[in-house]
Amino acid sequence: MQEKLNEIQTQAKDDLAQAESLEEVETIKTRYLGRKGGVINEIIKSIPSLPPEQRSSTGKSANILKQEIGKWIEDAKGKFAGKEQATDSKAMFDLSLPGEHKPYGHKHPLTQTIDEIKGIFKKLCFDIEYGPEVEHEYYNFDALNIPADHPSREDFDTFYLGNKRLLRSQTSTVQIRVMEKTKPPIRMIAPGKVFRPDTVDARHASMFHQIEGLMVDEGVSFSDLKYVLTLFAQSYFGQDIKMRFRPSFFPFTEPSAEIDISCSLCKGKGCSVCSQSGWVEVLGAGMVDPNVFDTVGYDSEKYTGFAFGIGVERLTMLKYGIDNIRLFFENDLRFLSQF
Amino acid sequence: MKISYNWLKDYCKHDLSAEKLAESLTNAGLVVDTVSPVEDDFCLEVEVTSNRPDCLGFIGVAREVATIVRGKLDIPDVGYDTTDENINDITSVTIEDSDLCQRYTARIIKDVKIGPSPEWLQKKICSIGLRPVNNIVDITNYVLMESGQPLHAFDFDKLRENRIVVRKAKKDETMEAIDGSKCVLTDDMLVIADAQRPVAIAGVMGGKETEVSGATRNILLESAFFDPRSVRRVSRKLSLMSDSSYRFERRVDPECVDWASRRATRLILEMAGGQAVEGVIDQNYQEGNKVSVSLKMSRLNSLLGLQIEKDTAKDILGHLQFKINSETEDGFSVDVPSFRGDVYREVDLIEEVARIHGYDKIPVKNSIGVKLSQDNRFDKITEKTKNVISGLGFNEVVTDSIVGDSQDIHGTIWSETGSLKILNPIRQDENLLRKALVHNLLRVKKHNQNYGVEKTDIYELSKVYLPKKDDQLPEEKECLCILGEEGYLALKGVIETILSHLNIADSLECVHFDFGLFSSEKSAELRLGDSVLGFIGELSREVISDYDFRSKPCIAELDFNVLIDKTSLEGSYRKVPSFPIVSRDFAVVSDEKVAWAEIKGCIDSLNIDYVDDIEFFDVYRGKQIEKGRKSIAFRVIFRADNKTLKSEEVDVLQEKILTNLNNSLGVSLRA
Repeated sequence: MQEKLNEIQTQAKDDLAQAESLEEVETIKTRYLGRKGGVINEIIKSIPSLPPEQRSSTGKSANILKQEIGKWIEDAKGKFAGKEQATDSKAMFDLSLPGEHKPYGHKHPLTQTIDEIKGIFKKLCFDIEYGPEVEHEYYNFDALNIPADHPSREDFDTFYLGNKRLLRSQTSTVQIRVMEKTKPPIRMIAPGKVFRPDTVDARHASMFHQIEGLMVDEGVSFSDLKYVLTLFAQSYFGQDIKMRFRPSFFPFTEPSAEIDISCSLCKGKGCSVCSQSGWVEVLGAGMVDPNVFDTVGYDSEKYTGFAFGIGVERLTMLKYGIDNIRLFFENDLRFLSQF
Repeated sequence: MKISYNWLKDYCKHDLSAEKLAESLTNAGLVVDTVSPVEDDFCLEVEVTSNRPDCLGFIGVAREVATIVRGKLDIPDVGYDTTDENINDITSVTIEDSDLCQRYTARIIKDVKIGPSPEWLQKKICSIGLRPVNNIVDITNYVLMESGQPLHAFDFDKLRENRIVVRKAKKDETMEAIDGSKCVLTDDMLVIADAQRPVAIAGVMGGKETEVSGATRNILLESAFFDPRSVRRVSRKLSLMSDSSYRFERRVDPECVDWASRRATRLILEMAGGQAVEGVIDQNYQEGNKVSVSLKMSRLNSLLGLQIEKDTAKDILGHLQFKINSETEDGFSVDVPSFRGDVYREVDLIEEVARIHGYDKIPVKNSIGVKLSQDNRFDKITEKTKNVISGLGFNEVVTDSIVGDSQDIHGTIWSETGSLKILNPIRQDENLLRKALVHNLLRVKKHNQNYGVEKTDIYELSKVYLPKKDDQLPEEKECLCILGEEGYLALKGVIETILSHLNIADSLECVHFDFGLFSSEKSAELRLGDSVLGFIGELSREVISDYDFRSKPCIAELDFNVLIDKTSLEGSYRKVPSFPIVSRDFAVVSDEKVAWAEIKGCIDSLNIDYVDDIEFFDVYRGKQIEKGRKSIAFRVIFRADNKTLKSEEVDVLQEKILTNLNNSLGVSLRA
């Protein structure tokens, strides 16, 4: 057995002398010292099967040899460690090459905006609701207290499909559908597509997205409306945002308000985005008109509520400084993959 | 509408700077878009909402200012002297369509001298962007801007038989308007005519032939109330807009009709001389009922969420010219002025008080409390699905629901019925509601290819609109369409990944399916259990050449509702195996007709407990394989839950599988 150990010793020495790289040294290390199938370990494993008188001495010699080879390997490694870095003519791995990329898909920026807004209102305990895009005139106009001769009913402002059907021009339709089937209290938002026959330009599209909001209960006040929309705006645009609530007019709310935020681009100093006013209009809102409650059979003496509408494209454009609404629907991947 | 800062001060004295005035008006609901300097004056561009036609004149805006600053409103004098001659002796007004003209007044001023108007008047008119014409026209414009009531002056001597008839136009009657446009009238248009012909389109524009000119001596001054809908319709139909039509469309104050006529008469006498004939013709006027509305302070304060004193509310409404007619402890009742048709309920009065008091004074209070919001299953599954597809490298697109008729060229997927048609589309060639998403995605691919983007892995999750009978609303089917560039199997893999993430237990079945858009070879209907999930296929050569595609896209469209039905949102946990697997590779030869699904099904049918998974490798056809046959390579993974499988145990199972494949499908081990 001692002979065999001597043989291994010589062989290992030769192998290491011929090794030309760190990699080869590693292979040699595995061959001799590896825990599984390494030459020395195999010998140590075989000790119990040797005659008793040989066992002790073979064990000792094997362990000495193991340490010896271990030292040679470390020496050989030291020899190559410097060499690996040296610049010679050999192929060298370029660490600065660009990383390899797996394809990464992007959700549409409008989806991302809607998701973010939904997330904010979920925190405020609002439910998410949906309604049809092809609607009866009743839900788009009559039930929303929009008089029969109102200009928004004209061909210029609404797509008609015949038989009193139309493509909804506002997500406020969902207010009515939800109130018809639910008793108060209600807290909901309804995102979705709306359609208007606007001539398409940088700021108008014939299809776009809105998010309608509605809260109804006993004792809901304008002050609550300001609270909820202030939390929303601070959450979406940041804590520093300034808000302005100013009177406006919508047939289905009274009192009505439009809400401006301080222009994020110029910080309220005035620029082209805010038409030099320092303010940008982002929301329409108001207290639900009693006529709307009467239509859906709510007691307008008992219940009050507020509603609001958010333009999804507008918010997205403001957030990223996008100057053309058409980009959202052209679906150019060079645009979409930026979000 | 444009407001001159200096001119406005004629009706209300105040100390606000132009900037401050703009801010105050905006905060009260009259948004001032811009403030631009004009010589020693400022021009304010004011946005007036459709419910406030009373603010389409300086006096109306001044009333708001007077209320904001709690100042005094100065309304000009309208008295004047007349001659003895009575108007009824020299002219008459006949209204044939009293529905469309609810008031018509006429006054006559004789022997006027036409000339330029005085400098102060020209300056005022110019300050809001109008062009001075002559003293009479300038005065009618001036009073229009002051009161919001449009006026028109006719050359009295050019009116045939010196009389006015308010009637519908006759078919094909024509008239040249003062702006030179030649109008062909239809029999639904209200006109002002003399004894023979139209001399003005009611509320829209006067006629050229009877307009006031340098030679005019006698004037008939019209001030009227025309039906808003009728004026809007006619103005749109003739594409003729004017400061008059703008105001009539939004409804003028019927009570102001006569005031404006007197005001203009007085100014004409002052600036163009002449004499006013005694009296006025005032036709078809019925004074409206007085509207009285009461307000409870408790209601006001609870709706707004603040505390306002009754006196403050009374003061505000008083300045807005609401007359308090009675009072109780908690509130009071007011008469609504005729120019405020928008106010008829308590809540309308609350808005008046709130907007003048200031929305900024309403506190931001937290009193709404928490509530558990409901989970929305559709939303959750949608979000999960989008996350998975995006995670696989696909970009989401959003395309238009309105499409052209090319969507049916290659056959229809979801419905044979014709698409819903939009009656008033923007473009005649895009007037249908889409019945599938596939075509829209192909167009997106095309658009991207045109811009040099070659690889277009995209998807859309949106609605398609499937018509139902008669006047019913359509079925709005939520569909998921995916376009991939890596071929049929890669796209099928994407769908399988989605199914697995949604914990859908049914396995996906592909049944050959002929569809014009797809190649006949790689085209399948996708089934999940008993439901049709959708369709998948590589595009046919014709479609690829129609679109000029440089790649060979594969596209699938799925019924998202089927996915929603089958999704399980409750995840379950499967114990991580503690014993190792044993795998065996198979290379078998089969007839071309034998499908992989059959081979896999055959192994599955043996119900061997230890079979953990079957992995497909590849199909090989070539030299060593007989024609009409193919070689299929796969691996079967064996595993037991309670022990390490022995090689001999697996050998037995392997043999069992091979025997069974051979017996049922004629599949044999490859030599």
